[in-house]
Amino acid sequence: MNVNNSLVARPIPGMFTRIWTDSLRHWVGQYSHPMTWTGLGLFVFLLLFSWVGPLLYPVSPLAIHANHLLLAPSWQYPFGTDNLGRNMLARMMDGGKATLEVGLLGAVIAMFLGILYGMVAAMSPRWLDKVLMRLLDALLALPGIVLMIFFAAIIPLNTLSLILVLGCLSWPGLARIVRNEALAYKERDYVLAARQFGASTLYIARVHLLRSMLPILIVNATFMVADLILALSGLSFLGLGIQPPHASWGGLLNDGLQLVIIGPWWLIVFPGVAIFLAIVAMNVLGQGLLARLEGR
Amino acid sequence: MLRRMIFNRLRTSALSLILLVTIVFFLIHATPGGPAYSILGMHATPEAVAALNKEMGLDHPLWQQYAIWWEHLFEGNLGYSFTQHAPVASLMGSYLANSIILYVLATVIAIFFSVLIGMFQGYWAERTPGVLIGAGQIIVYSIPTFFIGVMLILFFAIYVSWFPPGGIGGDQSAGGALNIGSYFHHMVLPAITIALPLTAGLSRYFGHQARSEYRLDYVRTARARGVPPLRIAVNHVLRNAIRPLVTVIGMMIPGIFVGGILTESVFNYPGLGWLLWRSALEQDYPTLSAIVLLIGVLTILGNLAADLTNSILDVRVRYE
Repeated sequence: MNVNNSLVARPIPGMFTRIWTDSLRHWVGQYSHPMTWTGLGLFVFLLLFSWVGPLLYPVSPLAIHANHLLLAPSWQYPFGTDNLGRNMLARMMDGGKATLEVGLLGAVIAMFLGILYGMVAAMSPRWLDKVLMRLLDALLALPGIVLMIFFAAIIPLNTLSLILVLGCLSWPGLARIVRNEALAYKERDYVLAARQFGASTLYIARVHLLRSMLPILIVNATFMVADLILALSGLSFLGLGIQPPHASWGGLLNDGLQLVIIGPWWLIVFPGVAIFLAIVAMNVLGQGLLARLEGR
Repeated sequence: MLRRMIFNRLRTSALSLILLVTIVFFLIHATPGGPAYSILGMHATPEAVAALNKEMGLDHPLWQQYAIWWEHLFEGNLGYSFTQHAPVASLMGSYLANSIILYVLATVIAIFFSVLIGMFQGYWAERTPGVLIGAGQIIVYSIPTFFIGVMLILFFAIYVSWFPPGGIGGDQSAGGALNIGSYFHHMVLPAITIALPLTAGLSRYFGHQARSEYRLDYVRTARARGVPPLRIAVNHVLRNAIRPLVTVIGMMIPGIFVGGILTESVFNYPGLGWLLWRSALEQDYPTLSAIVLLIGVLTILGNLAADLTNSILDVRVRYE
């Protein structure tokens, strides 16, 4: 198949489609695990809830109904209403959009920076690697959320700035993993052979190292998304994330906490469970992938 | 050998500390308008800013300011908080003490239950209870700290009112005598909130350790000799599996801080995390940066302490 491509004298009919489906099947099979599908399914459900939900349930998340305050869940208001009479289901969908958007896009930025830093450290001379790693140690001594709180106090808070801040502060853990993986692969025979053939550092990093560690990167990407959703929810919960009147799951949970004395469980349970489901989905997905990688 | 290892480890930590202080220095200069504005507030007159800049040495070039920053640190001068009307350094003492008591309590709870759960998980590794414990760990680990806190308040403070919903006991603010009972009564829910996710993570790690110990030949031999299961668990498995615990606790320190910040905010518990949160909301930059620095320093020192303890306890580590 794939491997013998160059040895085949003339094209066999259907060759290319077979290669494509085979490699897809191989790729999916490589990661397939009950936990993978559970996590993926759950996450897709949350994505549909946030983006397709508002199309099926076109109710404004910001509309105030002064005579429908703090209603428990009913047929008219499936998730109840808050202290301003706003429809909680609509707010949950709106909040899901913001939360998942920041989680996914922030993770893209963090993955990019982490891979870049780790790769540069692994491919650079020993002394530079050492300096970069010490710097990383110092950065890792500050828990991400502490720095996020610091920057949240400085910058104007909106979706874009939160994506940038969370993305730019979440990469150090990944950078260390990438660097260690790259160092482990760097001394393999095929990489040394490629170097002998005159392959450039960039080519080796891109083709040999990155592709070898792709599975590990995918696993860590799932954990990264979970971490970022958690971080954003934490910040919003502290009033330092998505700002009202815009909803986010963490912010909704904080609104619920303000009213906890009255005990409106629907304002607390729904956003809390949504954050939990998003994080558990990504963690289960990651654990499933990890289980396949470790051959369990 | 041990001395050289300790020396190397100290050197690494010192370097990390220096870099950390440098990072925080640049963070302060990233605040809008620079340090003077952050102290005087956004509406300060240019003259006042210039005067303060001169007084604090902020009209010097950056590298001189950096030197001044170090000098201030050694004098214990962390700046002045204009929202709290006190020098930051004097302000932090009681908050730090409250936090440390809470975190130590939470960590002790977490370690106790992690070892217990981990042992059962290791014993039942491939069977249903072990799998169930494993699933429970992932689930509990995924519940956000603040959600745990809010649910605990909703249930234990509002519905059954066994515990206060927040604050701190002993009425420290009114200058009254410290009421130990009330103090710890207020601490129960926050401590559980911090301990739960910690337990989930730590018991998973410990379960793995116990499981791999249970698979080893000497355990099978002991079983064949007729040693009672409890004795195998405690005398053989536990003693070997517990060894890396010190290192893991060192690695957990940032996680404890993260959980602590959110938990203290939920429960309005006046600790370091609560102060960080309040000063972020009030844009009190001197306090904010001092806490960031303090948390970083505590993390580095905690890791150092864990590594050194480990190298003294476990001879093999010294020869890395």
